Amino acid sequence: MRFMMLMLPAGYEKAAPGAMPDAGAVSAMMKYNESLQKAGVLLALDGLHPPSMGARVSFSGGRPKVTDGPFTEAKEVLGGYWMIQVKSKEEAVEWASRCPASDNEVIEVRQVQEFSDFPADVKAAAAGFPDLQSGQQKGS
Amino acid sequence: MRFMIIVKADKNSEAGALPDEKILTEMGKFNEELVKAGVMLAAEGLHPSSKGARVKFSEGKQTVTDGPFTEAKELIAGFWLWRVKSKEEAIEWLKRAPFGGGAEVEVRQVFEADDFGAEFTPELREQEERLRAQMEQQKTS
Repeated sequence: MRFMMLMLPAGYEKAAPGAMPDAGAVSAMMKYNESLQKAGVLLALDGLHPPSMGARVSFSGGRPKVTDGPFTEAKEVLGGYWMIQVKSKEEAVEWASRCPASDNEVIEVRQVQEFSDFPADVKAAAAGFPDLQSGQQKGS
Repeated sequence: MRFMIIVKADKNSEAGALPDEKILTEMGKFNEELVKAGVMLAAEGLHPSSKGARVKFSEGKQTVTDGPFTEAKELIAGFWLWRVKSKEEAIEWLKRAPFGGGAEVEVRQVFEADDFGAEFTPELREQEERLRAQMEQQKTS
């Protein structure tokens, strides 16, 4: 099973454009990343620039409306993620608990959908897109 | 530049409802365009938060809470990872996505090693490169 560990850093919704994590935090996180890799569970990871450098597109009534960041009403925003391959949700939660996260940070653990999770009619509708299917199968 | 395009959850995705055939077909076509243009790096959907958990870190302790997270307004239903030349290009692509009514999608630039200054020491950079090479190997093995 694949899981996303979604890092929700406290206060990142207010971070200024160009804000960077400090060297100490990066170094501790790299050790953690390496432990995930050595255990053979790490599939992907990325960090995200602050939302003040991003944008939101809403599709109310089907028409796209673009709003530039920051998103002042947001109480929590994504700071980065890991994708891991483990045997159970419990194992994913255990890995998340070992993260050298700071006070008040939250890691949300979410299972990734696999092609095999879909019912037959959905599989049939997606059958015309073999490239995508192989993309979805990555790591499964 | 890489961008993460984050699709927000709504009542339907949180209820575990799957998209109908029309939406799947339209989204399939859009995804195929992204692949052909060399923009698409990854696309994933997430199971509802009811199947997930949260780990909160506080004073050196971890508290685990099982989903669903009904109080959270910023839940994620899925994402794309795109390689484009600018934020504007990412937004142009996103505007063409076949979202009917009400979807909200966030565009966020992904950190690259070059974005970090001197703090990202040669040792850290080497560690990062090794990690990425090993992840690629694992994906193809």
